[in-house]
Parts: sequence; structure tokens; C-alpha cells
Amino acid sequence: MSTLEIDGLSKSFGSVHALRDLSFEVRAGEIFGFVGSNGAGKTTAMRIMLGVLAADAGEVRWDGAALDLEARREVGYMPEERGLYPKMKVADQLQFFAELHGMTAVEAREAVERWTDRLGVGHRRGDAVEKLSLGNQQRVQLAAALVHNPRVLVLDEPFSGLDPVAVDVMSEVLRERAAAGVPVIFSSHQLDLVERLCDRVGIISEGSMVATGTIPELRATGRAPWLLAWRGAEAATVRAALAAVPGLSVTDVEGRADAVHLAVTDEGAEQAALRAVLGIAEVTEFAPDLPSLADLFRDVVSDRPDLAEVSA
Amino acid sequence: MRGPILTVARREFMTRMVTKSNIISLAVMVGAIIAFGIAGKILVPDEIEPEPLRLGLDPAVSELATHLEAAPAGAAAGVTVEELDEAAARAELADPDSDPRLEAWVTGEVSAPTVVFEKDPDAEVLAIVEQAARAATTARAVADMGGDPAALESALAGVAVTVDQVVEPETEIDPGQMIVSVVVVSLLLFALIGSGSMIAMGVVEEKTSRVVEILLSTIRPGQLLAGKILGIGAYGLFQIAVLGGAATGVVAGLGVFPDLEINLGLTFLLTVVWFLLGFGVFALLFGGFAALVSRQEDIGSVTTPLMFALFVPFYVSFFLVPAQPDSTLTKVLSQIPFFAPFMMPTRAAVGSLEAWEMPLALLLTALTIPVLVWISARVYRRAVLHTGGRMKLSEALRGPR
Repeated sequence: MSTLEIDGLSKSFGSVHALRDLSFEVRAGEIFGFVGSNGAGKTTAMRIMLGVLAADAGEVRWDGAALDLEARREVGYMPEERGLYPKMKVADQLQFFAELHGMTAVEAREAVERWTDRLGVGHRRGDAVEKLSLGNQQRVQLAAALVHNPRVLVLDEPFSGLDPVAVDVMSEVLRERAAAGVPVIFSSHQLDLVERLCDRVGIISEGSMVATGTIPELRATGRAPWLLAWRGAEAATVRAALAAVPGLSVTDVEGRADAVHLAVTDEGAEQAALRAVLGIAEVTEFAPDLPSLADLFRDVVSDRPDLAEVSA
Repeated sequence: MRGPILTVARREFMTRMVTKSNIISLAVMVGAIIAFGIAGKILVPDEIEPEPLRLGLDPAVSELATHLEAAPAGAAAGVTVEELDEAAARAELADPDSDPRLEAWVTGEVSAPTVVFEKDPDAEVLAIVEQAARAATTARAVADMGGDPAALESALAGVAVTVDQVVEPETEIDPGQMIVSVVVVSLLLFALIGSGSMIAMGVVEEKTSRVVEILLSTIRPGQLLAGKILGIGAYGLFQIAVLGGAATGVVAGLGVFPDLEINLGLTFLLTVVWFLLGFGVFALLFGGFAALVSRQEDIGSVTTPLMFALFVPFYVSFFLVPAQPDSTLTKVLSQIPFFAPFMMPTRAAVGSLEAWEMPLALLLTALTIPVLVWISARVYRRAVLHTGGRMKLSEALRGPR
């Protein structure tokens, strides 16, 4: 199993630059979360990875070689715009996709049974897809991406429209595939899920990657403010004490009267602040307030005022 | 493992084949053909076996017998003569149930016979009797002059006329081959109208349901299009084979048209080759063009011009080819790949082909197919992810994919 490399992809649609020199990599056995506002270029990038669109420049490599048609048969793809034959039976349809990816009829039949059972639609194998609920159609769509035992998974918004049970099944499957050494890349707007599931995250904005790394790495970029909470003193008293500490700026914590954020400008100023407050109140919390992925994402996007509105 | 083209073709074939509505409608049509065959057998009377014309002859003019029997009897299978006296003849003539029927009774004199009919005199019988009377009278006269009536008769039998023409006769149209070519060209038209719209609908269905994105991540657009055309073409041929087979079986089994003969030689093989080439050319156009639209209700805007493009060569081969089999226009048009599949079988049937024309047209059409595959796949690839209104053809050919 090997790394999926996205190297310098550019793509324009007329005057719109959908991708500008987009580069990142997904290592074997890694779940990579692909995050960005609507129109940032996630779907375009995924379509190029799968050869559905051609890039103006750049290359997608897998195992050091270009991801060509032959190699793409090893990829499991779930497009953003779901697509199944509405009048075809679930089993027939999955069998067709499995065979199209190069499985024999026997292997395909076995895989169809395994994945439909696993994803909880085993009892609907003989039904036409259009008769299934949207949630179950979504499960069949995922089965279509998994049925040929892909060695790379590219999933565009796999969690949208799923109920919590299906989300759990899906997360479990992704973890399991990654544990088997498959590079997994998925895009999502459900940032809590991305945070929980992904080994690494890439934030894309206006067609280029603005941040990649593990969640702790991303959090470490930029200094997180310290959160200080206390008991047994008026806020005004605490603030007055803090005002006397140099190298520090104090801001409110939204919705809390018993806490403040300390942005540290001088090394060690937070320790002086702690000592100052300990003299007048009982400190209940004192820790760096790490931003959530959503905060990071907002920060990244709000650096670009033209996009802030879109993500809101 | 099957190749992707065959996998796609198989899906197209099976999803159309294995549906309740398809099986029922095929069964109904086969049933209807058999029913029509049986009804035809019952309603269309068998051709009446020609029976000999039966004439009664007064013993007084028995000399006429040999001349009557030798007379050419038109539609009837010869003439039988029976000596009858007047009473018996008149009784039989008056009896409507007599079988075999007595047409008339001849009496009077050899040189001036009287013919007695039941009611209306029959012109044919009169002509036969008149001719027999002349022959008998001539024989008598020859004998009176000391000649040999038998020698005269054989001399007359040896008279022959040879035909020569100043203007060359028109080339003979082989009716059997003409029928085969008309059937094949019409089948091509109908197969294309049916399969063409099926192909167009299949392409748009994949676009509407967005399944095409998964497909294109695995196989080339050309492979998808080729598989689709192959599968739907096979389904169309299967229908033709089932319905045509049922019709042939009914015709042969029940003997509805006992005299029909079809020549299964090289010409038949060539017409089949033309059918397949024509199907390839037009099916590719239907598939490629259908990718330009995104909704089933817009299909008409691409299929209508193509239908028109089908009817033009069809009518040209029906009206232009027989009227001007050797004109330059006919020769030029029949080399154009879109016209050739319709015109060449017709021209072969009319018999106006020079040796080099058919191979050249076959080559040109065969060479067009890879070009069309390329163009259609290009249009298809660029248009197939386009949603919304109809995409312009020029846009699909030029624009980014």
C-alpha cells in the first residue's frame, strides 16, 4: 500500500480558477479529511483524482506512478452527486460496478453480499434502488464505492444525509480500511466528524491548500489564548489584578462571567497572571484554549473576506 | 473477468431484456404474429388447382375431338372432350350440381359448329371451339387437295419468331434481391429509430441519475458508449430475430406464401454487413448527441435532426436510385458514409454497380466509424458532466472537459 500524491493541480473553467497549484498527499493507512467552503475546489480536485475531469496542469500519483485508468480501477469513489441506476436492483447494480472494476462474477457476488449485509441493506438486495429510502440509497452508494475492495478510497461528502447509526457504521468502515493500509480521503462539512475521524486534515480555500497537518499540528499554528476561570471573586476584582500583569491582553469568553481569555505577548506572562489571580480567588480552570477545527476553518476562511460569507 | 465494454453491453442488454413488460410485450407480439399467420392461412384461400375444361361433343362432329384437345386452354389445365348425345348433354348442362362441370356441348357441323351453353356463352370456350373448327376444316381441305394434314401441322408447330432490339434493354431488376434490399433497408431504418431513441434515453438516464460519474471514474467514455451501443444493438437485433423468426416460422410452417424464395448468397451477406455498418454509424451519432442534453424531455431536440438524417438517405435510395441508377448524383451520394448503408444495398439490387463502387463505399463507411467513435466520445466526455440546458455541439467539441 502506498501514498496518494496530489501534485500541483490547476484547473480553470473559463475565467474561474477552480484549482491553483493544489498539492498534498495522503499516506497509506491514513484518513485524510478534506475541508473547505462550498466552491473551494474539493469536488473538482476529487473528480480530477478519478479522471472524470482532466487537469490543466499537475499530476495525481499513486505508488509513485501516475494514477491512470488501470490504477483507477483500484480506487473506490463516491461522487458528491450520488448516482445509481434508479430502476436497477441493488444486487444487480453492485454486481455490475464490481465487475466493471475487474472482479469475476463469483467474486463480485460474494462481495455484494458481504457489503450489503455490512451496511445494513442486505434485506433490500432484490429491490430497485428507487424504492429505497434516501438513507438506504446512500448506503448502497457507499457499497458501490467499497464493493471491489479498493486500495484507495476517495469519498466526496460520504456522511451527508446519513442517520447517526449509519454514520457510525461508515466511520467504522473507514477506520477499518485505513487500518488495512488503504489511503482514505474524504470531504465533509461536518467538522466534528472530521476532527474525530481523521489522522490529518487539509483545508482548501479558493483552489489551493491553505493548511495541512494533524489536528494538534493545526491547533499549534498560531498561539492559542489561555483560558482562566475562577471561583469566589468578582470579575472586576480579577480583571483589576490581571491589568497589573505586563505582556498580557485580556478578553471576554463568550457566555461566561467567571472566565477570561489571556492572549500572551511576553513569554511567561500567563504564569504571572496565574500567580496574581491565585492571591484573590480560587482558580478552577487554567489551560491553553485550543481551537476546534471549526474555529481553525473559520480563521482560515475569514482571512479571505470574499469567502467568509460563503462559509457562514 | 469481462472487458468493460462487454460488461456495459451485458448490463444494457439484460436490464432491457429481463423486465416483465419486455417479456410480456415480446410474447404478445409473437402471439399476434402466429395468430395473424393462422388467420391468414384460414382467410386467404389456397390457390385453386386448375382443372381441365370439360366439353361435351355430339358424335356427329367427333372429328373435332383431337383439335379441341390440342387447343391451348388458357388458365385451365387442358381440355377434356366427352361424346354425349343431346339429351344427356342438355340434362347435365341444366344440372347445377354436376361435377366435374360440363362447360358446353358442341354440335352442328365441323365447319359450322353450334355451341350449347347452360346460360351465358363463355368467350374462351367459343375461341377454343372456333380454333378447333378452323383446324379441322383446314385439315379436311389439305386432305382434299391430296396433302398430308399431319405434315402441315408439324410444319406449323416449327414456326418460331426471334426478337432483336435497336435500343439496349434496361438492366433487369432482380425481384428477389430487390425485396431483400427493401426489407433490409426498412429494417435498418426502423431498428435505428427504435434503438437510436433507446440509446439516447440510456445516455440521458445515466446523466440524469449521475451514475455516469462513477462509470467514468472506471472506464473511458468511448468504452461506455461502445458498450451501450453494442448492448442496445444486440437487444434490437434480438427483438428483430425473435419477431422475424416467428414470422418466418409461421410463413414456412403454415405455407402462407408458398412461392416465396430468398437467396441466401453473397448479396444477402453484403446487405447484412451494410445493416451493421449503418447501425454503427447512426447509433454513434445518437449516443454522442444525446450527451448534449440533461433531461429526458430535451431528448427530442437532438433526436429529431438525427431522425431527419435517417429519412433523407432512406427516401433517396427509394426514389433516386431506381429513377437514375447511373447518374453521377447517385454514384457520389452512395459513397457518402451516411447514405451508403441505405443506397448501396438498393443499388446492388438494381444492378447498376460497377465493381469498384461497393468495396470503396464499404471501406469509406468502415473508416468513418473510428472517426465517429472519436468525435462521439469527445462530445460525450465533454458534455456528459454538463448539467442544465442543452449544450451546444460546438461547445462540446471545443470546450474544456
